[in-house]
Amino acid sequence: MTATELTQLLADGLILGSMYGLIAVGYTMVYGILQIINFAHGEIYMLGGFGALFVYAWVPGLRAIPLWAALPVLLVVAVAVSVAAATGAERFAYRPLRGAPRLAPLISAIGLSLFLQQVVFNFFTLPGSSMGVTAPVPFPQFETAPLDLAGVQVSVAGLLTLALAAFGMVALTWFVRRTRTGRAMQATAQDPATARLMGIDTDRIIVIAFAIGAALAAVACVTQGLRLGTVSYNMGFITGLKGFTAAVLGGIGNIQGAMAGGVVLGLAESLASGALPHIDALAMFSGSVWKDVWAFVILIVVLLIRPQGLFGERVADRA
Amino acid sequence: MNKHLTAAGAALALISPFLAWTWTPLYPGDLTLYGYPGGSQLVTLVCALTATALLAAPRLAPAGAVRALRAASLAALTTTWVTVVAIAVDLGGVVNLEPGAWLAAGSTALLAVGAHRLPDDTLDPPRPVPRLPRWAEVLVITAVFVLAMYVLTYGITTGSPEEFLAFLPAALFLGRALTVSGLGAALGALTARNRTATAVAALAAALVFPFTQSDGQYTAIADNILIFAAVALGLNIVVGLVGLLDLGYVAFLGTGAYTAALVSGSSFSTLDIGPLPFWATALLGMAVSLVAGIVIGAPTLRLHGDYLAIVTLGFGEIFRITVNNLDGSSGPSLTNGPNGINSVPDINVLGFDFGAEHHILGVEFGRFANYYLLLLAVIALVVFLYSRVGDSRIGRAWIALREDEKAATAMGIEGFRFKLLAFAMGASLAGLAGTVMAHLQTNAVPDNYKFADTAPPNSAFLLAAVVLGGMGTVSGPLVGAALLYLIPAKFEFFSKYQMMLFGLALVVMMIYRPEGLIPDRKRQLEFHEEAVTT
Repeated sequence: MTATELTQLLADGLILGSMYGLIAVGYTMVYGILQIINFAHGEIYMLGGFGALFVYAWVPGLRAIPLWAALPVLLVVAVAVSVAAATGAERFAYRPLRGAPRLAPLISAIGLSLFLQQVVFNFFTLPGSSMGVTAPVPFPQFETAPLDLAGVQVSVAGLLTLALAAFGMVALTWFVRRTRTGRAMQATAQDPATARLMGIDTDRIIVIAFAIGAALAAVACVTQGLRLGTVSYNMGFITGLKGFTAAVLGGIGNIQGAMAGGVVLGLAESLASGALPHIDALAMFSGSVWKDVWAFVILIVVLLIRPQGLFGERVADRA
Repeated sequence: MNKHLTAAGAALALISPFLAWTWTPLYPGDLTLYGYPGGSQLVTLVCALTATALLAAPRLAPAGAVRALRAASLAALTTTWVTVVAIAVDLGGVVNLEPGAWLAAGSTALLAVGAHRLPDDTLDPPRPVPRLPRWAEVLVITAVFVLAMYVLTYGITTGSPEEFLAFLPAALFLGRALTVSGLGAALGALTARNRTATAVAALAAALVFPFTQSDGQYTAIADNILIFAAVALGLNIVVGLVGLLDLGYVAFLGTGAYTAALVSGSSFSTLDIGPLPFWATALLGMAVSLVAGIVIGAPTLRLHGDYLAIVTLGFGEIFRITVNNLDGSSGPSLTNGPNGINSVPDINVLGFDFGAEHHILGVEFGRFANYYLLLLAVIALVVFLYSRVGDSRIGRAWIALREDEKAATAMGIEGFRFKLLAFAMGASLAGLAGTVMAHLQTNAVPDNYKFADTAPPNSAFLLAAVVLGGMGTVSGPLVGAALLYLIPAKFEFFSKYQMMLFGLALVVMMIYRPEGLIPDRKRQLEFHEEAVTT
């Protein structure tokens, strides 16, 4: 394997990983505050992509202008759809169960996740086709050829992913560290009861945490659609799983860690499908179908040897 | 006044099934005859009889008859109206209703209105139930199980969605009547006093089923329910007793099935082994699933419970991806990829061929009836293990861990060890069920082992069977499995929206009745206490 091939794999991994990181942030923020896994996060992510696609397909003016000009609209709609879904989910599926035995919100989340997936499956409609989507749906694409950076091919959508992920992380870090609401969020994550005594409206903080996670996931889904060219109703399941893996890798509850975990996972996945064919003993398990298996193996290994995560901050287990 | 209203409603509702409800036998069950109630009319008749009995002899209900009467009247109302509306819709208009149908609809409405206007007479605590002599108690238990089996058999053998739709609300409301009347609690006490007799009676009632079936059609359905129920009971140990959320349980079933298929001597098997005797297959399937369970459980069970949920979810998906790709081209050759391992031969135990027909007591036992008996044995084993282990020191440790892990650990219970034991035990029981499933379905294919699908068993349905039925009880998952198998099977025309409603039902269930249809007493308190303190 040449150095260029390796760099190519690393670049692909970095792009993929930054998308995972955007999803992981949503898991980590909700978990940090509520200690529940938002199982429906994968579906929140998927809804963002379909929201963008819906607007693009049904508003004629958008297809008339270049995609880069339409992109801000797509992103705003995607974020709006995902945030609406996430806050609705929080209100109707999670909040009534706060304080219930911890199995209850998990099961409710699974139900919600199936429900959202099936709503898209049954009711999402594109102009000129019948109601419902069964197969992956084409997503708008940049026509520009990939950029050639010293032999390494990077697509415009890939660069966009990196830029959006970087911007999202900087903005989020600023928000959490510098704003009043952000500090209230940190306080709630550390000790909700005391935070409430200090006058923090924890319900509002929880809704904001859900909304921020959803917004980043929606951005992730739009970039995924732009890179791969399709979105599908069940894309949230395995990607959501990866996002959670990234959050665990980074140490759950740790926002910067989530992004770092995403990047590590993306690199590992890229190397697993690109570098393994060069290792004789593992060459059989190198195809792209095995990359999910490798991601899972990484999750198990990390839980076994470093359960607090690579950049572990909290070993969250608060009664 | 209200009492007379109710009585009149009940009396008329009793008469109506003996009249014709429609003019044509095109509607399933032939409701055209005078004097011979048929099809869904029988369900109305049973509901009306229950209501009449409660009205005539309120002392039958130890905890007060009126709430039970209301539930029974709702049972009569829903089932009758479902049938009447279905006749009108199926045959194209209300002109197809004969006077009998109008009478039935009107009288059940009258009954329901009357029953709901009666003053509540709930007794708390309920009247003591007189102790019967032992032989009479055993007789009662047997009768109850035969009755329960009859109800289930009716549900399985309904030939049309209309009849099943009329049956379902009646069964649920009559079940509610049983609970609120206090008879459910009395029966519980009765079975608790005679545990051996209960076990024998339950088994005997279940054994009767294949004798009542002439062809294999419904026995095949029963077989699938039993597999589903056996796996749900295994999951119930993990989820219900210990409170560990296992979202990839079906992968352990699949592990057992693939193991069995590989050593079955099938010509599609890539291993040149077998056919092994069934006991060896079963042990091997359990062992392989056990190892998988330990590999998954050991790293995750030390952590917060949510990790287990997501890791098992991942494992379920990875299992499917893996068996899909071990086909020789995209991975090593082991499972034939998406085609799976087909032509798994029937089980042969000591010369008894499960694929052949046998004659027992003059009754013909087909292939599905043979497997029915085997599956009953598996379920009996699971229930036996469940109740013996559940009542032992281990079981108490499990429940303590479920209720409050920190307190349990402080009392000297080694959380990790007991949790791993439960998880591994659940995995190996699923593996055992998987070995039978591979033989029954004659194959092991990846698509049978998904996280969510429109037909059970899949991990989401398994979990739902446990949750819907009632975590931590034996009868809960059985009822849950039967319902969750029959509803999709009987309403195939609705399959497009099934998963959506299923997801919604899980959310609604968790919010309004997290303890399930048949709640474990301890668990119910746990949920309600939590609700009160927060």
